[in-house]
Amino acid sequence: MTDLQRARMSRGQFFRMMGGLAVAAAATACSTRPQTTTPTSGGTGAAAAVDLKFVGVADQKAPMDALLAAYQKVKPGVRLTASYAPTDQVQTSLRTQLGAGNAPDLHVVYPGNGSAMSMSQIAGAGLLADLSAQSWTGTIPTGFKPALQMDGKTMMYSAGSSVIGAIYNKKVFEKAGVEAPPTTWTEFLALCDKLRKAGVTPIALGAQTPWVTQLITYALVPSTVYAKDPAFDDKQLAGQTSFAQSGWRQAMEMYLELSERGFFNDKPNGTTFEQQISMVATGRAAMAVQVSAVLPDFRKSASSPDDLSMFPVPGADSADQVWIPAGVVVGLGAAAKGRNVEEAKAFIDFLGRQESINSWAKTISAIPLTQDAGSTIDPAVESFLPFTKDRAVPFMDQRWPNAEVQPVHFAVVQELLAGKATIDEALKKMDEAYQK
Amino acid sequence: MRRTFLLEVVMIAAAVAFMFPVYALVTLSLKDPAQLSQTPLALPNPPTGDNFAKAWSAAALAPSLVNSTVITVVSLVALIGLGSFAAYFLARAHTRLGYGLYVLFLLGIVLPFQLGMIPLYRLVTDLGLIGTHAGMILFYTGVQLPFTVFLYTGFIRALPREYASAAQIDGASHLTAFTRVVFPLLRPITGTVLILNAVFIWNDFFTPLLYLGGSGFETVPVSVFSFVGQYVSDYGLVFAGLVMGALPIVLVFLVLQRYVIKGFSSGLKG
Amino acid sequence: MIKRFSALSPSWLFAAPALLVYAVVVLYPSVAGVLYAFTDWSGIGEGMSFVGAANFRAILNDEQAMGSLGNTLLLTLAIVVVQNGLGLLLALGVHAKLRSRALLRVIFFAPVVVSPVMVAFLWKYVYNPDPSAGLNGLLGLEVDWLGDPSVALWSIAGMVVWQYAGYSMVIFLAGLEGIPAELHEAAMIDGAGTLQRFRYVTWPLLAPALTINLMLSTIGGLKLFDQVFAATNGGPGYATETLSTVLYKQAFVFGKFGYSTAIALVLALFVAAVSLVQIYYLRSREVAQ
Repeated sequence: MTDLQRARMSRGQFFRMMGGLAVAAAATACSTRPQTTTPTSGGTGAAAAVDLKFVGVADQKAPMDALLAAYQKVKPGVRLTASYAPTDQVQTSLRTQLGAGNAPDLHVVYPGNGSAMSMSQIAGAGLLADLSAQSWTGTIPTGFKPALQMDGKTMMYSAGSSVIGAIYNKKVFEKAGVEAPPTTWTEFLALCDKLRKAGVTPIALGAQTPWVTQLITYALVPSTVYAKDPAFDDKQLAGQTSFAQSGWRQAMEMYLELSERGFFNDKPNGTTFEQQISMVATGRAAMAVQVSAVLPDFRKSASSPDDLSMFPVPGADSADQVWIPAGVVVGLGAAAKGRNVEEAKAFIDFLGRQESINSWAKTISAIPLTQDAGSTIDPAVESFLPFTKDRAVPFMDQRWPNAEVQPVHFAVVQELLAGKATIDEALKKMDEAYQK
Repeated sequence: MRRTFLLEVVMIAAAVAFMFPVYALVTLSLKDPAQLSQTPLALPNPPTGDNFAKAWSAAALAPSLVNSTVITVVSLVALIGLGSFAAYFLARAHTRLGYGLYVLFLLGIVLPFQLGMIPLYRLVTDLGLIGTHAGMILFYTGVQLPFTVFLYTGFIRALPREYASAAQIDGASHLTAFTRVVFPLLRPITGTVLILNAVFIWNDFFTPLLYLGGSGFETVPVSVFSFVGQYVSDYGLVFAGLVMGALPIVLVFLVLQRYVIKGFSSGLKG
Repeated sequence: MIKRFSALSPSWLFAAPALLVYAVVVLYPSVAGVLYAFTDWSGIGEGMSFVGAANFRAILNDEQAMGSLGNTLLLTLAIVVVQNGLGLLLALGVHAKLRSRALLRVIFFAPVVVSPVMVAFLWKYVYNPDPSAGLNGLLGLEVDWLGDPSVALWSIAGMVVWQYAGYSMVIFLAGLEGIPAELHEAAMIDGAGTLQRFRYVTWPLLAPALTINLMLSTIGGLKLFDQVFAATNGGPGYATETLSTVLYKQAFVFGKFGYSTAIALVLALFVAAVSLVQIYYLRSREVAQ
């Protein structure tokens, strides 16, 4: 209680000061404001307490909580309060705060471009602090740079990458007599057929939850598009190709083939992500095409966490033409116009330490951004490692030029599954959104 | 007699059907994961309180309950005070100003909240009220005034004028006449105002997320939904969280339910 | 008479404190917000230019916005008709001298007090496609309540009606309790049956309650957001997209705040117009009777 009270006092003073600042800021509009708070060195005594605020999405709670506790020990003078909410709500409240010029010191940022909370959109509006001076940014692997950097400057932090593949229930596979995961599309279809004959749903699909709709296309497109044309993104941006003229068509056809052959659960459009998890975890379905970052959720629901593993979805008929999607996981940035930019950046610098990267990556089964002897890789994603060097592409939306393509993709997949649209219509809508 | 009995049976049957979602909510929150997937519709056997214990600690509901209560109670006091005062004027002033102001207040019922969201956020920031109870109280008082004024005005219009007039003839000012005579007569509609505004304020999710997120002063819905967001796949746990989040307001309703119906009925006579 | 009392009208100062708070929290921000409707602001950052009426012209050519207008109207119509019809039946039922009527009133009104988002969470489970759980399990059906594009909109209407039928019921009940018993007795002496008494006594005298109910449910239906957003987020495809979800997405998902504000403004004008017409038409009906 006393703690709460003290927090209120200091916060009250803080905001009064802040109110004054906001007025001053309005008066001097665009001029580059000098650092309003001199960087407080954490060690100079308890009096120099700094309050920092972080707003994140629910998935970030587990990795952040551990690191926040660790940071408290490193810098007792900094009080970092974090709040988490479901993605939609965070998106709304953060956009409002950013719009009103009062962003939290630290907040969630999505890598690359293609969403309203993505690095390119926010940094493009001048609202993210440049992190390039921090030492961890020097070791960012080349493949990750487009997701974290703009014009050569690092604008956000992420602990590593996750992959999209099939999360499967080992017990179900064993019972159906499946020996090894498939390595070609034909084998994958045969596997589904076998599972269906064994009386289980081969693939659980929770397409009522919008973001789940995209995962199967994302799993296939690396093989049907990028394996043939690694420069597809650049050509599409230049207007030389389109969704309709590319392997996207083939990926959609494969998606629909799975649906038409009855490999999905009944009524995928009415099934949610949560139900999808429970179907696989309890063995009513054999697998689900998902991001590795949700492995912990599947494990929580299963009778034993060891029941679950993962394999790459083979989107091509020769094994060496199979590529996989590997995307930078959602991370965070520091508000450029925050009240304690230097302290906020210092926290990110702490997250950039190898131990922090390892800790974050481990919690969400990600492949750490950079690795050392202390890095661990979830055994479930080991089968993806051979691909990550030269046969992996970032999640497609990270290179899309605006935030409209992705929601259109969600909607057209639902329409395709409902039989309310053709592949031609679906790809046309996506191309139209891309042009906007 | 027989017809009343038949009607009673029909109505009870309707109520039972009506309660089905509530039955699902409560029974699921009392089941362990195995029962959840195997016997989703049956009664919990045996019932388990684990979900509630887990949800209570994981969602950190205790401090949120205090925040929600403070914000709701103070906002209600402000709404009832300001709203009834304003309505007394609007109901009694048969002038163009009175009518114009009444319409101006009603406009507030129609406006979508998205319209003023960003300018309001700027304003609250400049006032230094982000992350404070005061900011939320100001907000709720403002947005709920139109509906409050609407309810009070309708009720006061239907009140016989003689009461207040008699008091005034005795030499009392409008202020005394209002506080001593009129306001006590407003009790039924005050009950309605109380419950409907309490429901709105207690349940609001987006505004406290926006204004209080990360401040340590989160309200119950914010805590519950951040909790729900983390445990999405565990229905028993999520439903236990929902039950606990809704329970306080349901209890308040059960205590006040007589007034809700009474207040409406007297408000409509005019 | 009236003149004498209006001389005793209270001072406008009674309304001043409420007006001040209302102006600060609602009026000023809304007016300031309207300005964005004439810009191309993304919602963040400084870049913004005035584009005149371009946003309003764009609405007319926006397939999604126009489609959502249709959904909004259908949804509102369904909610207004079913919620008030059911509310009236429930009110008539619990108005009768039943032993359980106090309890029944509480049961039917109770969903009103629960948050719409929570109700949507709960109904997502009730609308589970699994034939052994939820509503399907109860009724032995295999309906894809929220996943079938031709059913989803009506499923949302069902959820909203479940939550607010009790609200309509209470307002109708209030109307019923205001009808003097002598009128019914007089009609009975004249030999009127139950239906005739309803048609010639109850129904006309319920007019004020009906006005309020129709107005509140229409405004609620047109502005409906939380329930749709939490239950389907506009899907499957665009089957349950309403004006409110579209304007939300334009602002916070697509980063087109200016355009979103234009839609919000159109929605506000539309709601205001519909309510005004309703009040005018229904009040004149009340007076006629």
